[in-house]
Amino acid sequence: MSSQSMKPGVYLCKGCGIGDAVSVDTLEQIASSEYKVAVCRQHDFLCGDEGRALIDADLAEGSVNQPIIAACSPRVMTDRFTFDGAPAIRANLREQVAWSQPAGEEDTQMLAGDYLRMAIVQAAQTSPTVAAPEGEYSRTLLILGGGSTGLSAALEAARTGYEVILVEREDHLGGWAGKWSKTMPHLPPYRDPQPNTVKELIAAAEAEPAITILTNAVVTKTVGGPGKFGVTLSHGGELRTEQIGAIVVATGWRPYDANKLGHLGYGQSTDVVTGIELETMLGDSPLQRRSDHKPAKTVMFVQCAGSRDPDHLPYCSSVCCGVSIKQALQITQADPGASVYILFEELRTPGTAEEFYRQAQEAGVIFIKGKVKSVSADLGLTYDDALLGEEVTLQGLDLVVLATGMVPNSTNPEIEPAETGAGQLLDDINPNAPLPLAIRIVDNSGGDARPAPVEISATNGTGAEVGPALPGGSLLNLQYVQGPHIPILADGFSDSHYICFPYETRRTGIYTCGPVRRPMDISESSEDAAGAVLKAIQAMENAARGAAVHPRVGDLSFPKIALNSCTKCRRCTIECPFGAIEEDENSFPILIESRCRRCGTCMGACPVRVISFDNYSPNMVIAMIDAIEVPDEFAEKPRILIFACENDAYPALDMAGLNRYQYSAFVRVIPVRCLGSVNLLWVSTALEKGFDGIMLMGCKTGDDYQCHYIKGSSLARERLSKVGETLKSMMLEEERVTMEEISIADSGSIPKVINSFVETIERIGFNPFKGF
Amino acid sequence: MANPLSDSSQKYDLGFARWVYQNVKGGDKLSMCMQCGACSGSCPIGTDMDHGPRKLIMMVRAGMKEAVLTSNTLWNCTHCYRCTVRCPRGVPVTHIIQGLGAMAADLGYAREEDTVRFARSFWWSVTHFGRTDERLVTAKYYFSFGFKEGARRGLDNLKIALGMIKKGRMHLGLPHKVAGQKDLRAILAKAAEIEAREMKEGSSHD
Amino acid sequence: MTEDGKDKGAKKKFVYYPGCSSQGSSKHLDESLRAIVPALGLEMEEIDDWNCCGASVGNIGGGALPATALSGRNLAKAEKQQATDVITGCAACYLNTHGANEKIKADIALRGKINESLAVADMSYEANLQVRHACEVLVNEVGMEKIKERVTHPLNGLKVAGYVGCQTVRPFANTDSGGNYDTFDDPEFLDQFAEACGAEAVDFDVKTSCCGGSVSVISPEKTLHLIKKILQAAQDSGADVISTPCPLCQTNVEMYQPAINKKFGTNFNIPVVFYSQLMAKAFGLDGKKDAGLHRNTIRSKKLDILVRNS
Repeated sequence: MSSQSMKPGVYLCKGCGIGDAVSVDTLEQIASSEYKVAVCRQHDFLCGDEGRALIDADLAEGSVNQPIIAACSPRVMTDRFTFDGAPAIRANLREQVAWSQPAGEEDTQMLAGDYLRMAIVQAAQTSPTVAAPEGEYSRTLLILGGGSTGLSAALEAARTGYEVILVEREDHLGGWAGKWSKTMPHLPPYRDPQPNTVKELIAAAEAEPAITILTNAVVTKTVGGPGKFGVTLSHGGELRTEQIGAIVVATGWRPYDANKLGHLGYGQSTDVVTGIELETMLGDSPLQRRSDHKPAKTVMFVQCAGSRDPDHLPYCSSVCCGVSIKQALQITQADPGASVYILFEELRTPGTAEEFYRQAQEAGVIFIKGKVKSVSADLGLTYDDALLGEEVTLQGLDLVVLATGMVPNSTNPEIEPAETGAGQLLDDINPNAPLPLAIRIVDNSGGDARPAPVEISATNGTGAEVGPALPGGSLLNLQYVQGPHIPILADGFSDSHYICFPYETRRTGIYTCGPVRRPMDISESSEDAAGAVLKAIQAMENAARGAAVHPRVGDLSFPKIALNSCTKCRRCTIECPFGAIEEDENSFPILIESRCRRCGTCMGACPVRVISFDNYSPNMVIAMIDAIEVPDEFAEKPRILIFACENDAYPALDMAGLNRYQYSAFVRVIPVRCLGSVNLLWVSTALEKGFDGIMLMGCKTGDDYQCHYIKGSSLARERLSKVGETLKSMMLEEERVTMEEISIADSGSIPKVINSFVETIERIGFNPFKGF
Repeated sequence: MANPLSDSSQKYDLGFARWVYQNVKGGDKLSMCMQCGACSGSCPIGTDMDHGPRKLIMMVRAGMKEAVLTSNTLWNCTHCYRCTVRCPRGVPVTHIIQGLGAMAADLGYAREEDTVRFARSFWWSVTHFGRTDERLVTAKYYFSFGFKEGARRGLDNLKIALGMIKKGRMHLGLPHKVAGQKDLRAILAKAAEIEAREMKEGSSHD
Repeated sequence: MTEDGKDKGAKKKFVYYPGCSSQGSSKHLDESLRAIVPALGLEMEEIDDWNCCGASVGNIGGGALPATALSGRNLAKAEKQQATDVITGCAACYLNTHGANEKIKADIALRGKINESLAVADMSYEANLQVRHACEVLVNEVGMEKIKERVTHPLNGLKVAGYVGCQTVRPFANTDSGGNYDTFDDPEFLDQFAEACGAEAVDFDVKTSCCGGSVSVISPEKTLHLIKKILQAAQDSGADVISTPCPLCQTNVEMYQPAINKKFGTNFNIPVVFYSQLMAKAFGLDGKKDAGLHRNTIRSKKLDILVRNS
């Protein structure tokens, strides 16, 4: 859109206390006199029908095509202030002015005025975004894994109207869950083991026409992005490539190797078994020992066998306590005279499982809190009894059952988890991670990609050869610059960050569910499957519209790269958290559009600033900085610029306003998509303009990151560390530029964080460049 | 089932626990204890017990019959009921401790225990008079220790006794007697007979 | 006429179970209850030929079923006396009788066994009675307002530490069958009785601490420290008297003070009275005949002055 065709209109709301806090007439003056905005209106209640009608009328008439709404936060009233074909620019006069500043004060008025100015120049730098999907988009879902999770996912997708290809490496469906004699209760009163219904799940999936089931099949290679994945499968000795819209990984788990548990008696006697092995021994008749088939009258379950142990699995697998209770009940139901004991360190029976625990107690199962010391070959078990306060040895038990944990199949289960898989998190969040060995591709349709090196043949659990082994045992062999693996969060589980982004994998359009992402039972995994399928469907549909997914769901803007000025420094390629930028044959960056999350990290990375979005660009932010009035030092009013990320920091600021927390009026907040998108030019521009302090406010970094774009905030911190040099050379104090990690729950500390920074600035004095 | 009360060297031989579940008042709820320790934490005299109520319950489950029936827990309990009202699983801890005490007395574990002596004196008064004659019960209790010890205790508490007499709080005449004393005795005998009958059949108390 | 054919103007009749200690160590509880209950408009008739309830050692002395049968006979007798409610002032009697009654009502098998026992004396119990503690009756049936109205000689200036104890409230005070009249851990009724009588209820946070109960009678060396705790708190709070509803608490806390002083080097000399004694005094009744104040071994000077001036 050219500046001639831009027709801004300023709409000032006086409601929600704005009219009491500031003079709206004065604001209107700014718009009409300083910026010559032709259409300026005020209303007491802009979001109401009357207020809307005001705006609609101007839009219909054609006198306005850029409504600038100076009212509440852009995070609210989005339904009231969305106009077809005329994107609204928002100025936050409510949460971040009227609600967080004293009414009627001069500084409050100045703050409001600046926010209006910023909005007006922002509008001038904004072009409308147009959806630009190109080519064919697939709406077929690939589900990797035919266990109970994968089956649930397939059925959810099919019943929602989508085609599904279900890929299973074994020759049968149902996974581990299909093998259980009974399952934990998922229906009230949650007291008894229930019949295993995985068979029904399999039958339903097989009967569903929209689901194509491929057993004895593996994925050999994956290229592309949401809507345009090219997935190559090996099935029945043949390779075929499918066009896939989104991928759900439900590869499940495998039992921890009990051969490593010799210290608990495993391998010393056939009557020391794992819980998995016990399943095949349970039935309607009384339990028998494996060694001599005599009745097993005394059975001891040992919980946390090889779990919560730094030498084995460091984590808790969450379901083992419930499983042992289930098995204990099955034993006592088949033989009421049996004495069953469960030895635990802590007992995990969350939610309705408490009822299950009580049922076991009522049935006479004895729960003993203690820690195993040794198990002898004749099944003598010695342990520290925490409840009796002494060491106890039980002689001559008939059976010892080790409740072992779940190991996720985040890599091919035949192969030990590869280092690159485990190190994936570090690479993803580390701003200084070296570029993995790039796998160059010519285009993203998967046609001429260099095939992955064949190492050994991969076999499935029954020994059948299923296809070429993949590097490091990766499940999908992603042909991404970021490497072939689906990332791991912790302990080998494929996850993103469990609170913020369930099912996400840090690879757009690929989702995980079920025990591959955290230990869970059958009912939890079917819920998980539904969640992942919902996200996958969203990814496919949005990709087809050219729109982004989480967190900027629906965003149609794209980073545009002016290649003629590109220096091929590759920073955008390396720093993109989602691998959405790759290199063409000339080493220029190209965008894999459907992987892009529109965070703008590439924009922040580019030293020559050739990357921008239609509605978010370096020039736009520079213009906003320039629009702010910075008083000279004699006015004794410092100016502090805050870049606040829209996912955590900006909402925290809004929440502070919601709670009427007051803070310094000397700050000016510019919302950014991600701190990763903050270009250092903005910092130097602000300092040159006379800003006394600059704060980057954004999401948490590190292993426990909450940055919604994975490493945007840690990139910002990394970049800022280099700013120190620049500041020194400008004879400016390093304290002037800082970064704070603020989560949306930290609104209570906003006043302290802001005010103490203002104090610091007041202490070190005004920016000497002010007024130049 | 093997004799449930036989000594077992194997801890957690469930014979004793199962017997207690069935034959001690409130024992059936014993299986529901989740060892949270609220009872022991609430007990005013818990620190003076060999084992607090929580541990005692676990010892029952662990088949530690001797240790349970010889512990002073059974006799130090003041029946304040704090444990019972606070137990999150509704285990009637006070009743179980009383029941175990009765079992200990029945089985001959606590013949010399103060409370058992007192109970014998008390019951003698009830069966003879239908009422508790406080001075006779006390006297009989003291002298159950032997003449010398009885006299010593009597002298120790002489001042209190004299105080009570002075204030008219000790009945000095013939013991009050219930008119229907013969009936009462017959009723109690019948109840004892029914109880013995049930014990043989292996069904629960009360 | 009321629905059950009674004269509407007639007072509600309770069948009264005095308990064995009323004949000796807690005569003053019995005397004062017999005085204040009619004064508050209720009628009390003693259970005919009542027997001992078994207290805390009946189970051990005679067995569980025989101990329950003791209450069975009392209830069978009471049932014949044209009333629906049994009232008792003794905590242990209440515990046993109310407890037995509730079990007999709920457990048909037990009722059968009890009646089989009673049958040898041609008696039976149809389980139609409610067994209530005197304090619960005062709270629920009479009410604080009425108690206040009845006060003619307020005990002004008397500081009272309300020591509730254990078995009066636990485990029944918070239950439906027990009248739901107060809590287990912080009951207020005793303080409210004191205030209704014009006295001042002091802060006394050990109000439900155990005095050792029967263990204090049988083996006091085990529990003297528990009683000391109560006395210390009363002394620290500046109370003139400790008031209590329970016969055993009254006796324990009163008569062991010399032994405690000897063992711990303290100098306690705190009067311990029944709430009913205070009420009798506040209602202007006779200090000796009705309030039984001459029976307390440790006299309260302040109370004596109030008595004299009434």
